[in-house]
Amino acid sequence: MQTVDNQYFHQYLPGVEVRLDSASLETYGRDWTHLRAPAPSAVLFPRNTSQVQEIILRARQDGFALVPSGGRTGLSGGAVAADGEWVISLEKMRSLGTVNPTEACIQVEAGVITATLQQAASAAGLFYGVDFASAGSSQVGGNIATNAGGIRVLRYGLTREQVLGMTAVTGAGEVLELNHALIKNATGYDLRHLLIGSEGTLAIITAATLKLWPRPPLRDVMLLAVPDDQAIMALFASARQAMNLSAFEFFSQACVEHVCAHAGLPAPLESPTAFYALLEFDQLDETGLTEWFEQAMEAGWISDGLISQSDEQAKQMWAYRERISESIAARKPYKNDIAVRVSAVPALLAELDELVQQQYPDFEVLWYGHIGDGNLHLNVLKPDEMDLNAFKAQCEQVNELVFAVVQKHSGSISAEHGVGLLKQPWLAYSRSEAEIALMRALKQQFDPDGILNPGKLL
Amino acid sequence: MKVLVFIKRVVDYNVRVKVRPDGSGVDTDGVKMSINPFDEIALEEALRMREAGQADEVIVVSAGTSDCQQQLRTGLAMGADRAIQIDTDKPLQPLTAARAFQALVEQQQPGVVLLGKQAIDDDNNQTGQMLAALWGRPQATNAAKIELSGDTARVTREVDAGLEVLDIDLPAVITTDLRLNTPRFVKLPDIMKAKKKPLDVVALDGLVSDAGNDLKIGNWSPPPQRGKGIMVDDVAGLVTELKSRGLL
Ligand SMILES: Cc1cc2nc3c(=O)[nH]c(=O)nc-3n(C[C@H](O)[C@H](O)[C@H](O)COP(=O)(O)OP(=O)(O)OC[C@H]3O[C@@H](n4cnc5c(N)ncnc54)[C@H](O)[C@@H]3O)c2cc1C
Repeated sequence: MQTVDNQYFHQYLPGVEVRLDSASLETYGRDWTHLRAPAPSAVLFPRNTSQVQEIILRARQDGFALVPSGGRTGLSGGAVAADGEWVISLEKMRSLGTVNPTEACIQVEAGVITATLQQAASAAGLFYGVDFASAGSSQVGGNIATNAGGIRVLRYGLTREQVLGMTAVTGAGEVLELNHALIKNATGYDLRHLLIGSEGTLAIITAATLKLWPRPPLRDVMLLAVPDDQAIMALFASARQAMNLSAFEFFSQACVEHVCAHAGLPAPLESPTAFYALLEFDQLDETGLTEWFEQAMEAGWISDGLISQSDEQAKQMWAYRERISESIAARKPYKNDIAVRVSAVPALLAELDELVQQQYPDFEVLWYGHIGDGNLHLNVLKPDEMDLNAFKAQCEQVNELVFAVVQKHSGSISAEHGVGLLKQPWLAYSRSEAEIALMRALKQQFDPDGILNPGKLL
Repeated sequence: MKVLVFIKRVVDYNVRVKVRPDGSGVDTDGVKMSINPFDEIALEEALRMREAGQADEVIVVSAGTSDCQQQLRTGLAMGADRAIQIDTDKPLQPLTAARAFQALVEQQQPGVVLLGKQAIDDDNNQTGQMLAALWGRPQATNAAKIELSGDTARVTREVDAGLEVLDIDLPAVITTDLRLNTPRFVKLPDIMKAKKKPLDVVALDGLVSDAGNDLKIGNWSPPPQRGKGIMVDDVAGLVTELKSRGLL
C-alpha cells in the first residue's frame, strides 16, 4: 500500500484540501459517541462533486477505505474513523441555493448545517420540517445518511419525506442524479430512498433538493404531569383528536432533575411527577383547550399542566426535553434508541421497566423519547466509580435482552440514530436473514471494493 | 397594600420583526404577541410581594384595544387578583400612557406601582419615570432587587460602576430590570380560574381629557442590509483594502 503524505495527495489529488496533522485526525476521526480512539490517516475536504468522485476513484485504485463525515453529531459511531481510513468531510461544500417559491424547495450542498437550512427557509417565509437538538452542528448530508427524525416527525415526517432530489457518488465512483426534484416519477426503483439512511455505506451524498413547508401557524406548548406511563397512549389519542399536534414528547422525572442540575433551571412544576408529556400544537381557542384539559384531568391521565404564554416560554419548556441529552453526556450514558408501533408503547414500557429493574438494579436508568412516533430513548448512566469498559460490557449483555423484547414487538433496535458501529452486532434483531443478504448484495453493487464506511451497518 | 402593575402587549421577543413594505409600521399579522418581558418580571415581583404577605391585592393594567385582554388574562392566570383594560385604539406614546396611568393610580391608591423598565417594541424607557413625576412620588428604575419594609422600599440597581442601593418612601414607582426574577409558567387550571376573575374596561377618554399624541411617526424602514464580504489573499491585501476605503 502507498504511504499517504502530502506528496501523495499533491500528486494524485491536486486541488483537494488535505489535512494530516494530528489535531485534525483526532477531531475528524470521531463522532458524538467517542466510541473508538480516532486514527484516520488523512482528512480530505472536497469542494465539489467531481472532487468527491476523484477521491473515490483514487481510493479504489490504491485500496483505501473512506469515512464520509458530516457534522459528527451521529450517535452510532457511523462517522468514526479508527483504522487508517481517509475521512471525507463535506464541510467545505456548503453552498445554499435560493428558495424556489413555486415548488417550495431549496437546493443545498451536503455540508450545509441543518440550522442554516432552517434559517434560509424561514427567511423566505417557509419552513424546514426537521429539527432536533444537534441541528446547530449536524449537516444535511449526515441527516440524509441517517434519515434523521427529531421533534416534529409527527407533523412533517423524517428526513426521508423532505428529500426531493439528490446528487451522490457511489463507491464505484459513479455520479448519480436521483429523482431530479420531481414530485411524480413512476419509473421503477427509487434509488434515492435506498441512499437515505444508508449511513455512508453506498454512496457519498453531495447535494440535495429539499422540500419546504408553509410557515407554521402560531403554536403553543403544554407541559403535562403524567403520573402513570400506562395512560400515555390514551392521552396521546385524545390530544391528537382535540388539537393539531406537531410534537408529542415524553420524559421521566429523573431526566428533568438532570436538566435542572445541569442548566440551572427551576423545577417546572411545584411537585414532581413520575413522567412528563410535552405537547406542541397549533394554537387552539381557550375554551377548547381548557375543556380538553379538564377531561384529561378527570380521566386521571394527567395531574397538572403548564401552557406557554409566549414563544420565550415555549422555548423554556422545550429546554426540559431538548437539554436532556447534553445534561447526561458527562455520565457517559449507554444509549438505546428503540421504536415500536405507537400502540405497542405501553406494553414495551412495562416489559422494559421490569427488565431494567431486574438487570440494572444499581444503575440509574433514564427514559425519554419521541413517543408520538413510538420512539423511546433508554439511557443507562455509568456510576461514577465504575470503569467505562466494565460498564459497557455489562450494558451490552443486557442489550440482548432489551432487543429480544423489541423483536417480540417487531420493533426497531435503532429508531433514528442509525446502526453504525454501535448497533451493528444486533442488526438481526430488526432485519431478517433474507433482508440482510439483499442489503449485502446491494452494497456490493454500489461499492464493489467495499471502500465506503467498512465495518459500519452490515 | 395594593400593587398596581402596568403591562404592555408587544410582538414576542423571539419573533424577527418585519417592516411592512409600505413603511407604515411593523407587520403583526399572524405574529405572536405576548406580555413585554420586563413587565412580566414586574408582575412576577408583585405576585411574590403578595405571596410574602407584603401586599394584599395585585391589579394588572394594560392600555390598548380588546386584544390586550389576552395579556391581561395571562396576568390573571399568573395570579393577579383583577385586571383593568384602558380602552383605546391609538398607539400610546409614553407621556399619554403616563398621564392615563396617573389618573388610574390616583383612583386606586396603590402602595407600589411596578412597570418594566422599557417596552421591547419602542424601547423608550420613559413611562415609569414620567408617571412618578406626574404623580409626585419617588421612583427607582431598573430594579435588580426590591426589599419592602413598612413604608419604605430598598431597591438595588445594576449600574455601570456596580450596584446602587436606593431607599425610597412608599408609595413609589419602581421599574424592573431583567435580573430581578424569573417569571413563573402559567398552569392550565389557573387559566380556567382566571376566567372568573374581574376584568374591568375603562375608556382612555375617561382618564385623560386630551389623549392626543404629540409625536407623529413619519415612516418605518428596516436597517440597511449588510453588504457582501470580500475575501482577501493575505494581510497585505487586507491592509490595501482597508486603506483604499479610508479605514486605516
Ligand atoms: C444532542 C443530540 C441530539 C440528537 N437528537 C437527534 C434526534 O432527535 N433525531 C435524530 O434523528 N438524530 C438525533 N441526533 C443524532 C444526529 O444528530 C443525527 O443522526 C444527524 O443526522 C447526524 O448528522 P451529522 O451531519 O452530524 O452526521 P455524522 O455524525 O457526521 O455522520 C452520520 C453518518 O452519516 C454518514 N454521512 C455523513 N455525511 C454523509 C454524506 N454527505 N454522504 C454519505 N454519508 C454521510 C457518516 O458516515 C455516518 O455514518 C442527535 C445527536 C445529538 C448529539
